[in-house]
Amino acid sequence: MLNFGVLEVANSTVPAAPGWAYVPDVGANASMSALQPSRSKRMRAQIAASPHETTAKQDAKILRELTALDRENHRDVSIPVPVRHRDNAGRVSHGKVTPAVRKILQSQKTFANHLADYEALSVINSSLPPSNQPVVPSPATPSTPHPPSTSKRTHRKKDAGAGPAPTPLRRVSAASEAATPAPIKSEISHDTPMKDAPILSLNSTAEPPPHPEDNNPLLVSWIPQLPTQEEMEKLLAAPPLSYNDARGPWIPDDMRKPVRHFCDVCGYWGRVRCMRCGGRVCALECLGVHQEECFTRYGA
Amino acid sequence: MAPGHRRTKSSGPAPPARTLIIDNGAYTMKAGFSSPASTSAPSVIPNCMARDRERNVYIGSQLSKCKDFGEIVFRRPVEKGYLVNWEAEKEIWDHEFFEGKAPLRCDPRETGLILTEAPNALPQLQTNCDQMVFEEFGFASYLRCPAPVLNAYNDIQAMFKAPPRDPTKPLLPAEIILLIDSGYSHTTITPLIQGRPLQSAIRRLDVGGKLLTNHLTRLLSLRQYDMRNDTYLVNEIKEACCYVSKDFKADMEATWKGPKGDRREIYETAGGIAKDYILPDFHKRTKGEMRDHDPGLAGKLKQLQSGKAPEAAEDILTLRNERFTVPELLFNPSDIGMRQSGIAELVMDSLSALPFGLWPGFLANIIVVGGNANIDGFLWRLQVEIQALAPTECIVRVVRPADPVVSTWNGGAELAKDVDLLSSMSVTKQEYDEYGAAWVARKFGGDPNWKW
Repeated sequence: MLNFGVLEVANSTVPAAPGWAYVPDVGANASMSALQPSRSKRMRAQIAASPHETTAKQDAKILRELTALDRENHRDVSIPVPVRHRDNAGRVSHGKVTPAVRKILQSQKTFANHLADYEALSVINSSLPPSNQPVVPSPATPSTPHPPSTSKRTHRKKDAGAGPAPTPLRRVSAASEAATPAPIKSEISHDTPMKDAPILSLNSTAEPPPHPEDNNPLLVSWIPQLPTQEEMEKLLAAPPLSYNDARGPWIPDDMRKPVRHFCDVCGYWGRVRCMRCGGRVCALECLGVHQEECFTRYGA
Repeated sequence: MAPGHRRTKSSGPAPPARTLIIDNGAYTMKAGFSSPASTSAPSVIPNCMARDRERNVYIGSQLSKCKDFGEIVFRRPVEKGYLVNWEAEKEIWDHEFFEGKAPLRCDPRETGLILTEAPNALPQLQTNCDQMVFEEFGFASYLRCPAPVLNAYNDIQAMFKAPPRDPTKPLLPAEIILLIDSGYSHTTITPLIQGRPLQSAIRRLDVGGKLLTNHLTRLLSLRQYDMRNDTYLVNEIKEACCYVSKDFKADMEATWKGPKGDRREIYETAGGIAKDYILPDFHKRTKGEMRDHDPGLAGKLKQLQSGKAPEAAEDILTLRNERFTVPELLFNPSDIGMRQSGIAELVMDSLSALPFGLWPGFLANIIVVGGNANIDGFLWRLQVEIQALAPTECIVRVVRPADPVVSTWNGGAELAKDVDLLSSMSVTKQEYDEYGAAWVARKFGGDPNWKW
């Protein structure tokens, strides 16, 4: 985090005031600048000749369309909770409403708000030195009804070595395949560590009957070695990833593939680009249909 | 989970006689009761408040009384798979579970609760959930867990045509499964060992039923009718007509009209791909219907275009490449410019976070649940794509349960039959009152030092 040499003095107790939130400032927002691209010739020159050459304008269009695809209703609507249920005899009584519950019920935050809050908090947490991390209280200590979510997220995988169980790196695909221990024969199953409660066990109770071809090297089956008990416990104990970390990546193999384009009009392969807006169409006929709309939209 | 690890129950009250299991999805919630003695089939309840064009408001299961779905709008308390708006959710739960004439009426003080959430939930939302369950509703005991986990308690091996498990033996979660949950908001990939998720390998693809429906809406609105205010209808079209293509390029060629002045013969029927969907008008016809495409049949749109009176005709949408390009987004999200890889690639990405020794087990036990698993051809395509990416020696098996929508619920019902196992995993109201919300959050939160 760029902080211009200013170190924030430990001030982790952020009062959770309603109505505002810390938001991490992560530099220039690509989506915002894409929405209002500066229309200079210099921008054009930067377009790289990659399989995904998209201009800022196209990026903005894609972003707009993806947001539209995420909507619940086409128009903005608000459906209030029917009033008759609110407080007269129709209401189901669950006893006294506690302040925490009242706050939750009145909250009109959306998921995006919650996510922004969470991101801001985790930025604050990760910028603190690890010694400031609060100790996890023992179960007997009385705790507030509003636990600061800081205490739960102290062992995030980003603070290296802070958590007792470091999460395995996410991109170990190539490494793990290369570093795979030499495959061993299935007889080795007797050697798997059998502790009091093995997490994984090869089913060695039912040995298959011996066969004269058992020693034929061409027929030997190979299986990779199962991870040890400690490895498994470490894996099972790993804390959950955050919402953003769990989002599946765009793997490099897919990035190298050319993106498929489809005709805006009929849905066939988009082989022709409109000279005017960059939209894709399949052939002359669809281009004509497209240009009718394209020219009127931009006022020709 | 060995018996030695189970927490001995403190001198609390006996566990509640029956358990309410709620699989709280964004589109529908699956709810019903289970107890060691009996399990009823779950009710699939729309998890929404809806308003039609006469401004009638429907709550949850009232939606089945709705006769006119034209221009209906929805408010959903679950957003992106996570329970966000408790004001609306409480209204729906009250209507379904607690009111005088509720279809699944229960007294929360005498009922246990199993509630599912999507994996990787935000801690604040989890805390809100715990507080509402205990402080507002006051359930006797409560287990909050990621939805994929419950699937491990189903009889997985029976899905793979193995002999069913012995009902006399104690319930054990499946040893090793890779669970793909493709729902309304997103698709998640969760590797599970002994019913416990491997958190570091959970991956999410932000393509779900909602995005598919909205994409189909967009295509139909551009090409035929403006359906943007009728997403409910488009969802029915999607469920009736869409399929995952076995050969995308060939299907695409078959549905091409050909260049100008050179119409392809195959175009009209597109080798059986072209289908007509008869739209409901909510007077004579309340339910849409799919038929094979009949080129001679003049629908309302055609009659309008040729200037005839459109009185007698039906409203017909002809679907061609829309049928398979829409579910294709699950396998190629980059088709609409999303910067994510498809399901098969994400499965391999998830496995790459795990030791190589576990790969054969996971690849041979892939279960697909969620509404999108019902799309024709989905399993076949997924199996082929994963097989292509996986090491050649590995066997890849992909199956779905008989009803992928309620599979998670069924797993929860199985779990609720084992009272000891369930009570060792859940939290009682007493414990909540004594130790507080933070303690509950840690117990459910996969704390590394926590022993179940």
